[in-house]
Amino acid sequence: MRETATRAAGLGLAVAYAGLIGWMTARQPQTIADVTGGLSAAAGLYRIDDQAFADGLRFFRNDQFTESRLAFERADPADRDAETQFYIAYSFYREGWGRVYHDDRLYAAGLEAIDRAISLAPGKRIVIDDPALGMRTAEELKAELQAGLRRDASDFNPMRLFQERK
Amino acid sequence: MTALREAVALPVVFLTVLLLGGLRVADTITLTPPSPYMLILGLLLVRLVVQSGALAPERLLSSSRSSLANLNGAVVVATLWVAGAQTLAVLAPESGLPRLAVSVFFLLLLLNTAAASPDRTRLLRSFAVTFGAAYVLKFVVLHELSAPGGSRLGGALRALVDGVTLGALIQEVPSRITAYTALSAVTLFLLGIFLLPHRRPEPGGLTRRHDIRTLSGI
Repeated sequence: MRETATRAAGLGLAVAYAGLIGWMTARQPQTIADVTGGLSAAAGLYRIDDQAFADGLRFFRNDQFTESRLAFERADPADRDAETQFYIAYSFYREGWGRVYHDDRLYAAGLEAIDRAISLAPGKRIVIDDPALGMRTAEELKAELQAGLRRDASDFNPMRLFQERK
Repeated sequence: MTALREAVALPVVFLTVLLLGGLRVADTITLTPPSPYMLILGLLLVRLVVQSGALAPERLLSSSRSSLANLNGAVVVATLWVAGAQTLAVLAPESGLPRLAVSVFFLLLLLNTAAASPDRTRLLRSFAVTFGAAYVLKFVVLHELSAPGGSRLGGALRALVDGVTLGALIQEVPSRITAYTALSAVTLFLLGIFLLPHRRPEPGGLTRRHDIRTLSGI
């Protein structure tokens, strides 16, 4: 009986270990936080740090974008929460937005973050109920970031000087 | 062999070899699975381990064992296979002519060892020497040749080697941690082979059927 239990436990352990190696090979986590975050997200146990998220939101609303991203990264160290990643992308958009020109580097980082957010969201759908935001869906934000990175004739339209940041 | 060793220790050892052997630490950390070619070499290696008696498959898989025990045995064989492939993969240089040469060398070496038909002890010695030499070649010789920095003379020698070999020898130098994890993987793999359920010596100290046949003049 004891031998059977040992054999069953060993089999379970081997399968779990092999699964972990397979998951790590597929996902290529870079830090321990990525590993623990990814595993707990897979088990449905991942939770962001609510206090850090609230700090990030406060900084974001005060246009302190670097500070907000630091707080959001603290809230979601494994990059596994779609809403937090949406706000990170939004902070890149707002910081990179300019009436005359947009900062391509920040827009590219924003695009990377919104793609990450979309991949994490259930059904790839993100709708944020925040009246302070001009764009509340991932699609709107992604389209805006892509448009900002595109080079075309509309870049020379003088009317863009009257556009508002969303 | 105890159930604990067969069901827990051996799979954990071999899976750890798979994990450590796949780690490549440079600017980023990557986990690389063994290539299909290395998996084929891994099969040859398993055949060699069975042929030498270092693994007695009938002690892992047989009709007299329970289904669960056979499942444990199958896990040991499967993990031995991927760990063997990963060990060869971690010892092969990452690119260029050295990778091609070492890959062909491993194939010839496994075929040659199979033809020589060594016993368990000799196989373990042979693996220790071969793996040790391959480790030194990759992590000492080639990395020293490829590592940037150092003295002016070293730099000049490196430039000379690079020029003469048209860059075929120079490798990407990973972090030192990769060398340590590779060494751990190779050591663990040898330990794993040592722990495998091996063929029991037959009476009179003869372990191989053809030895008995030869001595009896059959």
